[in-house]
Amino acid sequence: MIDLFNAAGFRDAAITRHFDCFAGTSKERTARRYGVLGVNLLAV
Amino acid sequence: MPVRCPIGFDVASLRAEIQAMYGRVADAPGGDFHFHRGPEYAATRLGYDAAELAALPAAVTASFAGIGNPHAIRPIPAGAVVVDIGCGAGTDLLLAARRAGPAGRAIGVDMTASMRERARAGAEACGLTNVEVLEGDATQLPVADRSVDVVISNGVINLVPEKARAAAEIARVLKPGGRVQIADIVIGEILPDAALLDIDLWTG
Repeated sequence: MIDLFNAAGFRDAAITRHFDCFAGTSKERTARRYGVLGVNLLAV
Repeated sequence: MPVRCPIGFDVASLRAEIQAMYGRVADAPGGDFHFHRGPEYAATRLGYDAAELAALPAAVTASFAGIGNPHAIRPIPAGAVVVDIGCGAGTDLLLAARRAGPAGRAIGVDMTASMRERARAGAEACGLTNVEVLEGDATQLPVADRSVDVVISNGVINLVPEKARAAAEIARVLKPGGRVQIADIVIGEILPDAALLDIDLWTG
């Protein structure tokens, strides 16, 4: 995500927080297997 | 890392499946889905203010299906023009409209008609006159160049196969000095093509 926004001309793209948003869902195992997380991202 | 789009991926099928999936979320948010929905999830797992959510129509917050909290990144300034990409039923959009205030504007963009209808009805129920809800998607925002102060989005860019195009489109609409504050999904490893071609994983 950071590379994506930096490539589009943004600077200082940064992930500011992580969320375990799939915990307790039927996709929890898949999310853990592939390291899937929700994140907050800021780019200016 | 963002999810790359494999060669030969059926983008049209993905768009149709996403519209069908989120149409179901709009019409029956209490149904069986493989992601969380609703205001309790937003408050307890994502850090939204429960009182702010309670002040929005239940028809809006019941269909909330975000995966992070764009409002926790930085406050929306009073007077700001905000675009919410993939606004869904309008939870983040209406919170942004309240923070931008009467001198600001909140523009929701969504490709699913039933979500747009819910967002419009929610704005009306809240008496928010600074909200517009438009048809579009992340790769074709119906917004003028350099007209937006803040772009927000919650769990949408991961659904877009053409991610570089979406990022370029966001850059196009932002004013100089404008900012992106989005919540989305990242993965910790390179996915095999079998996983990348699985539409169920994309729509999740």
